[in-house]
Amino acid sequence: MEPRSLNPGRESQTREPGSALLSASNLRVTYGPVVAVDDLNLEVSEGSVVGLIGPNGAGKTTAIDALTGYHPLTAGRVLFKGAEITKMRPYRRARAGLGRTFQSVELFDDLTVEENLQVAADHLGIGRALGDLFLPIRGRSREGVEWALSLCDLGDVADRMPKELSAGQRKLAGVARALAQRPRLVLLDEPAAGLDTDESVELGKRLRTMPEAGVSVLIVDHDMSLVLGICDEIHVLDFGKSIAHGTPAQIRDNDDVISAYLGGERVGHVG
Amino acid sequence: MSSYTLFLLLGLGSGAIYAVLALGLVLKYRSAGVVDFGHSATAMFIAYVYLFLRENGTVQLPWTILPHEFTLTGSEMGTAPAMILALIYAAVMGLIMYVLIYRPLRHATPLARICASVGVMLYLQAVAVLNFGSQPKSTPNILPNSPLQVAGITVPVDRLWLAGLVVVLAAALWAVYRFTRFGLATRAAAENEEGAAVIGLSADRIAAVNWVIATVIAGLAGILIAPIATIQPASYTLFIVPALAVALVARFQSFAIAAAAGLALGMLQSEVTKVVSVLSWLPQEGLPQALPFLVIVIGMTLLAKRMASRGEIVVQRNPSLGRPSRPYATTAMCFAIGTLALVATHGSLRFALISSFIWICLSLSLVVLTGYVGQVSLAQMAFAGISAFCLTHIADQLGIGFPFSMILASLAAVPLGLIVGLPALRLRGVNLAVVTIAAALVLDSLVFNWTWFTGGLGGTKVGNPNLLGWDLGVAHGSDYPRVIFGIFTLAVVCGVGLLVARLRGAPAGRMMIAVRSNERAAAAAGINVGRTKLFAFGLSSWIAGLGGVLFAYAQQTVSPPTFETFSSLTLVAIAFVAGVGRIGGAVFAGIMMASTGLFVSFLDREFSIGKYQLVVAGLLLTITAIKQPDGVAANPPPPLVAAWRWLNGKLSSGPLNSHRPVAESER
Repeated sequence: MEPRSLNPGRESQTREPGSALLSASNLRVTYGPVVAVDDLNLEVSEGSVVGLIGPNGAGKTTAIDALTGYHPLTAGRVLFKGAEITKMRPYRRARAGLGRTFQSVELFDDLTVEENLQVAADHLGIGRALGDLFLPIRGRSREGVEWALSLCDLGDVADRMPKELSAGQRKLAGVARALAQRPRLVLLDEPAAGLDTDESVELGKRLRTMPEAGVSVLIVDHDMSLVLGICDEIHVLDFGKSIAHGTPAQIRDNDDVISAYLGGERVGHVG
Repeated sequence: MSSYTLFLLLGLGSGAIYAVLALGLVLKYRSAGVVDFGHSATAMFIAYVYLFLRENGTVQLPWTILPHEFTLTGSEMGTAPAMILALIYAAVMGLIMYVLIYRPLRHATPLARICASVGVMLYLQAVAVLNFGSQPKSTPNILPNSPLQVAGITVPVDRLWLAGLVVVLAAALWAVYRFTRFGLATRAAAENEEGAAVIGLSADRIAAVNWVIATVIAGLAGILIAPIATIQPASYTLFIVPALAVALVARFQSFAIAAAAGLALGMLQSEVTKVVSVLSWLPQEGLPQALPFLVIVIGMTLLAKRMASRGEIVVQRNPSLGRPSRPYATTAMCFAIGTLALVATHGSLRFALISSFIWICLSLSLVVLTGYVGQVSLAQMAFAGISAFCLTHIADQLGIGFPFSMILASLAAVPLGLIVGLPALRLRGVNLAVVTIAAALVLDSLVFNWTWFTGGLGGTKVGNPNLLGWDLGVAHGSDYPRVIFGIFTLAVVCGVGLLVARLRGAPAGRMMIAVRSNERAAAAAGINVGRTKLFAFGLSSWIAGLGGVLFAYAQQTVSPPTFETFSSLTLVAIAFVAGVGRIGGAVFAGIMMASTGLFVSFLDREFSIGKYQLVVAGLLLTITAIKQPDGVAANPPPPLVAAWRWLNGKLSSGPLNSHRPVAESER
């Protein structure tokens, strides 16, 4: 089945491909005296898959935390769908269509896989939730759950508890939960960490189809072949600063990137 | 003017006790990560040990039923030897308590630790009441008590001695933990348990030593305050509230701040007593007791944003949740069984059954709050009490008719629940428990002492519930307790049970459980974490309020003692032991464990052992917290499971179809 049709209401909302969905300018994040992200500019355009890479401690997760409201900004602003969200609280950003996953997955251990997705898809205010207790709302928000389950191939384990899943399935369930809320943009923090090569390739294929379903992607990962393989555009961070920006082909040949990854002096062309 | 100064100085006495108890609490938290609700109960027990050693040379052991007294010298003992022996006793007791209770809990969740220490508190208090009686006992002075004339006022010099002692003690503790190797090791272990283990420090042994020191200090406090405060189990035990308030201001870290804040709080309380006596428009009762609450809330929300967390290895584990499979059918069956039981019983046993229903309702309020959303409230009975007293006013003074008066009165608890829940937006675990117990105490001392509201000691009468001329009341002429009242209660409780069961699978319930599991991830899923917690507090206090209203109808006269702070603690205790994540747990708590409920009343009638209920509850609470944090209902006793299956088998051919047990285990 065509994923698009399973993600209702998407088409009408989708803006022109290429227009900026998320735009962050001059982001600066500090932990006390340590500058974790320094003057970062980042743009994710509608319908694209953007990668954010860099060596350990480059500030990638901090950047995601800052974009989703989990860590306060020292300076800079964030626009989402053209509106400023710099000071918006995390749950509001999620409801506005900015989904995210966590490096350590962080599933709700006391809910089944399906319930994990459902709770993200519900997006009910407390008033509606209270009303539902006395007068149940039926047949809501199932589509997002079904879509995310099928996209991540979790249909067979929908009724399992998170602790019964394999590490790879848990990762996928984390991604599926972010997708179940039908975001416009999903920020994936190392979705392939802990997956084997086959699983990683499979994940890449799925992620590549997401723009068609109306979901743009910002992905942080260490798996270079995954990131280089699926992204339209890549930002490279080192010590909190953006050191390169371009298409996968440009990044692959960039001297700064190579030296950042290998450390030490610039070594020209390597291997 | 001078009388104000006098009251200020008089306050040094209680202030010193708060300070010393708080020093012990800080010590225990820093070394073992436990906020010990049983700390002042331990102090109380040691005070009794001292008292009996001194008076007739007997040693009192911390249990009942079994022989708990043996004669050491058989005659009066001097103050000094009695004190030394009592402090040695305290050291041994501290070590045993650490090894048996807190050491096994060192990787447990904060909730389990709280419940264990609440268990210790209930146990020691109940044992003290049984062994020593609840009458206050006085002891002769220990410290010099000659009046001292300073600047025209007469100062009781023992207060100054106590204050001086506090300062010396705090300074000594500070020096020990600042400069000695042992102090350094303690700090290292508190900051990073794993790291300390790597460099060869046994966090365990360090914690044990600290625990012993803290217990001895608690014992010292108990003994020294005895001449001033007179020893009495309940009042002594509740010193824990101001002591916690003080420890909190010190962020469970600083000895100096704990000492200073303790003395300041005592002086402030004493001064307020004086001010209240002058300003007659102020509430005459309870304002001094209410002060610690203000200190706690201000301390919590402004000063101590977060209690310094310890670098400990915690296996985060909430009580497991049940999964009600067929809520409607199960409710219908429970209603049928309940009705049969009401018809089959009579007299006091039927009343006990009705009480059980009400306790089920109260326990359900904790299933929502503690089970589903993982929050702690030690003020549930206070919420119930507010609703019960509101009922008397709404029904009798405003003349609002039955179903509406009940609904309005139960809703009256909701605003209070929300207020008590507000700190939950910033606090969790232990800190939250401290705030809620303080709230319970404030309602207890301020609102329930308000004669206009409660009708004083005699209480206020409540009219029977009357639905369009149909009397549902508990008594009618000589007919008492009536079946129809039982069925009415049962219907309300079944309704609440159904609501809580449905909540488990409803969007609101999923949001709660998500918040309980992981607040960060919940926010990423678009859930407003704070509002979800408040929702749970509101819903839970409403359910507790319903329980209070039912109590009011059942007892016909509402009086404050039903809703005192200890009842709240007992409620948490039995709900946790029975299994706070399950509806089956609430049922078990109400029927089997509540002191006025069916099982205990039956035991009391047959074997007259009801008075041991608190002892057993305290003991069971501690053991459950250690051994089975999911509660009894998570792994119900096999005969119970068999009985339930059999019943299901009988009924499955009928219109109700098949049910899975209420108390089914998830895994």
